[in-house]
Amino acid sequence: MNVMQQIVDGVSVSSSLLLVALGLAITFGIMKIINLAHGELIMVGAYTTYAVNTVAKLPFFVAVIAAFVVTAIVGALMERFVLRSLYGRPMETLLATFGISIMLQQIVRILFGATNKAVISPISGTLTLGNIVIPYLRLFIIVFSILMLLLTAYILFRTKFGMLVRTVSQNRSMSDCLGINTSRIDLLTFSFGAGITGVAGAIVATLRNVSPTMGIEYMIDSFLAVVLGGVGSLVGTAIGSVIIGEASQLLTFVGGEIGARIIIFVLVIIVIRFRPEGIIKLESR
Amino acid sequence: MRKTTIRLFVILLVSALVLVGCGNKNSGSSSGEDGIKVGILLSSSGPTALIEAGMIKTAMMAIEEINENGGVKGKKLIPIQEDYAGDPSMAATKAKKLVMEDKVTAVLGTFTSASRQAVLPIIEQNNSLLIFPNLYEGEEYSENVIYTGPIPNQGLEKFIPWLVENKGKRFFFIGSDYVFPIVMNNQAKALLEMHGGEVVGEEYVPFGHMEFASLINKIKEADPDIVFSTVVAESESAFFKQFHDYGITADDILIASPIPTENDLAAMGPEAGKGHVVIQAYFQSVDTPENKKFVENYHKKYGNEPVNTQMEAAYYSIYLLAAALEKAEDITDTKQIIDAFAGQEFQAPSGKIKVDEENHHTHLNYYVGVGNLDGQFDIIDKYDPVRPEPWSKLLYPDHEEPWKK
Repeated sequence: MNVMQQIVDGVSVSSSLLLVALGLAITFGIMKIINLAHGELIMVGAYTTYAVNTVAKLPFFVAVIAAFVVTAIVGALMERFVLRSLYGRPMETLLATFGISIMLQQIVRILFGATNKAVISPISGTLTLGNIVIPYLRLFIIVFSILMLLLTAYILFRTKFGMLVRTVSQNRSMSDCLGINTSRIDLLTFSFGAGITGVAGAIVATLRNVSPTMGIEYMIDSFLAVVLGGVGSLVGTAIGSVIIGEASQLLTFVGGEIGARIIIFVLVIIVIRFRPEGIIKLESR
Repeated sequence: MRKTTIRLFVILLVSALVLVGCGNKNSGSSSGEDGIKVGILLSSSGPTALIEAGMIKTAMMAIEEINENGGVKGKKLIPIQEDYAGDPSMAATKAKKLVMEDKVTAVLGTFTSASRQAVLPIIEQNNSLLIFPNLYEGEEYSENVIYTGPIPNQGLEKFIPWLVENKGKRFFFIGSDYVFPIVMNNQAKALLEMHGGEVVGEEYVPFGHMEFASLINKIKEADPDIVFSTVVAESESAFFKQFHDYGITADDILIASPIPTENDLAAMGPEAGKGHVVIQAYFQSVDTPENKKFVENYHKKYGNEPVNTQMEAAYYSIYLLAAALEKAEDITDTKQIIDAFAGQEFQAPSGKIKVDEENHHTHLNYYVGVGNLDGQFDIIDKYDPVRPEPWSKLLYPDHEEPWKK
């Protein structure tokens, strides 16, 4: 078995998982909102890319920017009209976001029709190193996801906006006392998380096709990556994505595609059982 | 102030729901018109709307054409469409409505085996008739169902030897992990071994699986001539796309499959589908006068979308039903209608088809198509109608056939 090839493929799987989980790291990790419409935000980004790139025939990077903007707007609408009144009430948030996910799926079906759509990848061809083959598209996704991670980290840790986000999430009442407009920060944070998720949708659309139900499969894996890596930590999400991505490729030696999934779930259960905060524990009071 | 707003909102919402409910009821009752009610139980929303939405359109088109030509026994066919959103329990609820409230003469519909099996008890207990127009795994027979879609033995019996003769002997089997792909692959493997081929690998992926990197590696290691794929739904076009991303063309390793349709070619992009081989009971590119008319009428009425085999099946199923209704003496007696299907023939867009005299399944033509860059299939071979065998004689030579009782 070509182990090196599997490891390299694991890196590319990890990178697409990281992209998808990055937005969740913000909405769930930092804001602690259980957003069951996370998958549908991915889908919104993918459909935006379809509309801009395949239909309007604009360049791919324009589509990616459009995906960010459109999904951020959708996220802002969600936050302003639904989530704002449900802070601190996880059950209602779960139900509300589940309802929103069904709505988004059907809206897309009405707008675009029920059949699957294609987003042609902007890059084709493969790189061959010895007996390892890597499609250039996957290399692009690896590089892109690392850049997104660094960009998100920079925004969160080196800008004033990022500082405000972290302040509000650590101690909301104190932030209010200090005169920070917490509801505005919430709106911007959630939109930012949604926008990143939209970009992830744009990218993964090139690996597969675009359909109203495409977001559902990403839900489980992105929550797994965030929870395993440590809720609230970007580095944790990155580590979680790498572990799950690599494991899903390497474990196929042992169990086949299905066995690998089962083993991963079991592993995550074991880790959470003994270390509920995930791999990177965040200090909290 | 806020309480009043909420109350107003709730009243508006409830009134809207009541009106919608009333609306449906009116379309259900006969309102005095003398016609034959046909239930169309297909999803216009939900995950399977992908395929079923197109089927609703062609079924409606068939009903319109029949009505324009004088209807059945001088009466018009009245379609009553119910959307079950791909959910088997909802399918059962809607079937109850169609059969017991609307008292339809027959129901055309359901798509997955799960939804058909949810609906079956209602059809059987109320002595109604279900026409099931889709490809499924076979191994089923009901007195109250006419199966007008393909079953595995029909396509595979000719396809496998064709592949061995023309493309190679070493097969790697892949599929989605549930009953239908597994049954198809089992029959294909048995046929392959009969014709001297070799199984070099077999792998199943979870339904909805999207990441095919490691599977593609395994396939490359095993170095087959052909990948025989019964991967379904979205996973299927993702597999083709990623296969292509790795630089593997149809000349290196061919993908052969009974699953893809024109919609899938559109979804995976033309480069990914090019050169791979598919077998179906119908392609949009079939060259018959009936098909030219069918595709033209569809495009005129609904726009320039691809037309696939499930849509054609919904279309000819309505015509088969109309023919059976004409032949039956008393159309309030379901048994007479069901018996009238036996041996019923029709010149469908895909060619001449016939409902089997005994086993409630349909003899269908078969076409071998190669994906091209226009998102269509070039037809390179055709087979005359193959007898449907719900329990394939290959796998179950001694099976007692329930329709013989």
